[in-house]
Amino acid sequence: MIARLAIVFAWVMAVGAALFLLAPLLVIVAASFSPTPVFDLPIEGASLRWYGRIGKLDGFWPSLWLSLQIALLSTAISLVCGTLAAIAIARGKLPGASVFATALVSPLMMPGLVLGIALLQYFRAIAFTATWSALLVAHLVVTLPYVARTMISGLARFDFTLVEAARTLGCTYPGGIVRVMVPALAPSFLIAGLFSFLASFDNYPVSIFLADVRTKTLPIRMLQYIEEAPDPTLAALSTLILAGTVVLLFASDRLVGLHRMAGTSD
Amino acid sequence: MTEAVLALPAQKPAVDRERLTAFGFALPSFLILAGIFALPLLLLLGVSVIGPDGLTFANYRRLLGTPYYLGVIWNSLRLGLLTTIITLAISYPAAFALARARGAVRSLLLATLFLPLAASVIVKAFAWTILLRSDGVVNQTLMAFGIIEDPIRMIFTETALIVGTANIFLPFMILPIYAVVAQLDPRLSEAAATLGASPLVTFFGVIVPMTLPGIIAGVALVFSLSVSAYVVPTLLIGERYPTLATTIAKAYLLAREPGFGAAAGVVLLIIAIVVVALSTRLGREQAAR
Amino acid sequence: MTDAGLPHLIVRNVSKRFGATTVLDRIDLTIRRGELVTLLGPSGCGKTTLLRAIAGLAQPDQGHVELAGRDITLVPPHRRNVGVVFQSYALFPHLTVAGNVAFGLKVRGRGKAEIEATVERALSLVKLEHLAKRRISALSGGQQQRVALARAIAVEPDVLLFDEALSALDRKLREEMQVELRRLLQNVGATAIFVTHDQDEALTMSDRVAVMNKGRIEQLAEPRELYSRPASLFALNFVGLSTRIAGTVVGSQDGKVEVDTRVGRLSAMGNFVAGSPVVVAARPEHLRPGAVMDANSVAGRVRSVVFQGSRTLVDVDAGAGESLLAELSGRDAAMPRVDQEIRLTWPVSETFAFPAEARA
Repeated sequence: MIARLAIVFAWVMAVGAALFLLAPLLVIVAASFSPTPVFDLPIEGASLRWYGRIGKLDGFWPSLWLSLQIALLSTAISLVCGTLAAIAIARGKLPGASVFATALVSPLMMPGLVLGIALLQYFRAIAFTATWSALLVAHLVVTLPYVARTMISGLARFDFTLVEAARTLGCTYPGGIVRVMVPALAPSFLIAGLFSFLASFDNYPVSIFLADVRTKTLPIRMLQYIEEAPDPTLAALSTLILAGTVVLLFASDRLVGLHRMAGTSD
Repeated sequence: MTEAVLALPAQKPAVDRERLTAFGFALPSFLILAGIFALPLLLLLGVSVIGPDGLTFANYRRLLGTPYYLGVIWNSLRLGLLTTIITLAISYPAAFALARARGAVRSLLLATLFLPLAASVIVKAFAWTILLRSDGVVNQTLMAFGIIEDPIRMIFTETALIVGTANIFLPFMILPIYAVVAQLDPRLSEAAATLGASPLVTFFGVIVPMTLPGIIAGVALVFSLSVSAYVVPTLLIGERYPTLATTIAKAYLLAREPGFGAAAGVVLLIIAIVVVALSTRLGREQAAR
Repeated sequence: MTDAGLPHLIVRNVSKRFGATTVLDRIDLTIRRGELVTLLGPSGCGKTTLLRAIAGLAQPDQGHVELAGRDITLVPPHRRNVGVVFQSYALFPHLTVAGNVAFGLKVRGRGKAEIEATVERALSLVKLEHLAKRRISALSGGQQQRVALARAIAVEPDVLLFDEALSALDRKLREEMQVELRRLLQNVGATAIFVTHDQDEALTMSDRVAVMNKGRIEQLAEPRELYSRPASLFALNFVGLSTRIAGTVVGSQDGKVEVDTRVGRLSAMGNFVAGSPVVVAARPEHLRPGAVMDANSVAGRVRSVVFQGSRTLVDVDAGAGESLLAELSGRDAAMPRVDQEIRLTWPVSETFAFPAEARA
């Protein structure tokens, strides 16, 4: 009896949480169709004009391009470095492996803001003022912990005997890693890449301190738009991003399974 | 003696080679951590204590000595605490339901957890202003159902702020707890039942302790994220609720007081480090059991 | 064919330490081409480490390993041409059965047609041709084991190494595989080394067995010899059942000793000086009810009679804390009953004396 009540309660909370999480998203999608130039609800009628205006936002294309570049590059570099580090940790031959693992993941819990100002000071102190490069370097610290976390747990589940088997069949050690471990870890790799790309693309607290007047990432531009003149164009942009994410999540579920992205096995 | 002479020299290449490979693999990440994370933070510490005349603690005295800034620190902590408590209360039961779900329902629910992560926090926070305004959706719905007569003042209140942070950080609480709950062995509850434990006792005596690692991870993550939240407080409550985060931003972007901003940053950092250290230690104690 | 019987794998003076523990202690082992040898011993005796050293997955601190005429001590595993079948099979989950078997061939850069033919041959050897396209996760344990074997055989290694490869199978399947594996390997003319802690497996499958204890090979002999002429108390205890009685040597002559025990005077084969503490032992199938001149004989009370199908084990309390174990077959006359007084006798030529080991 109690058990049944408890289960009902659990489901109520779960559905409630889902609706709570969806609420702002629904607002955004609805507002994007507004016929009036106000980013607001309720809307009377529907219009697609704001979708057309996305490209015309002040400084939009350069910001988008910048954010994409930084996110893709920093993710790529972090994937390589983070995976290598995770292999070293998982193999157990690294002294202080667990301390290193904790250190790698720790930036996730550090206030991004503090990291931003710290990097600002630091780059100035070492006269590293090339904005684009500074952003890229800073985003390495943003993305690496995501990769490290996913790959460390993925590798913890990997059976290294498979690599030994490959070696007895004629592969060198690196060859064995590539031929056997990479395919087995592909799902973790995808998940790590996805999370770290999003973390970089959406990052505000670190980017704001390193950007300058000419070099602004998309989130910085978006806050600017919101504070200056919030019109539904921003809602339209967000809706497009959400739509893209829905497709991405659908594909991920097919390929890997969303429950595996959540960190559980079947 | 003769055996030692006849014995062939020790061969060590492979063992050291493996250790060398491990070092090599770890090196790039180590350099990133050391050069782009640790060093800048150390420099920050330095900046916070260097004034025009050399070493000074003036920034910290101002931060920790004036009632205003003590209030600011307390605001940050309170924001962290309230957000954590609310998200935990929602997430814990929700995780159990999620763990029981299968197939399309499970995928759908998980998608609602992952989807918000793709929307910019800026846009989400702004959406909440739309929802919570006097003529916003929430008020209009409540009036339509006759629950209230006049619109409730919600925007720019602490309530709005907490609703906002709870919304933004909810996935970060649910996911670690779900990961642990989904791996629970149902046979443990069965064993408890055969030993005479009622469902209540089984829950609090067996299940809750087993899910503790997930709870600790979620609490640590959400607390440290919400304590240092910047965008949500700026958009949902602004000047009315100054936090360490907004203080830092102001010090750097407006007032040009890098030393003071750095000190506030260090305080925020210390809070985050304490949380991480506590949760790691608690987590290790759990694992040792 | 004319190579058969020549020394093929030579392990010379191999030692290995992990920290303060000596895991392999000056191991010498020579295996002939086409021979099936088992390394038998309890966990921690070093058998797996020795196997891994031969495979190149562990590096000895000193010593040499030679295979097919060349010194492979410093050669990395991928150039040694050894085939390994792991306890967990280590099949690649992202490849099909055929993909797994073809792996070693692909790495060696063989042509597509050659690979297909070789894979088919290997799979038909293990009778799994019909499963070539199957995913690994869809296979049973026994099938996975055979795929692992086919994969190792496909590259025609100089030696096949089995690391407790049958231990994950259930008993009936295991016993079937033991016989089938031996037949297959003999047909192919393969040289193989098995590692196991299961003495029945060792005796079934091997041409010779190396009993290992604490990093040393205590005895290397054919199964029959190992069973009936164990070289040490450890080997005696590890393989088969036995009656063991402690005592002190009182006289010695012509390779025989007289031993004074708590259940009387016994004679055994061996060379010891008077006063040596020894353990006198005999295999159960030699103990018979009755009394025979010039043979050992001890009386006691039957403690238990255990029927095991083709044989019956009779445990006798000989008094003073000593026990006798006799194995009688169905063809023997009347089975003894519990609590029955009985006298058992056995020939001196099948009685052995070993130095009594100091209690560790």
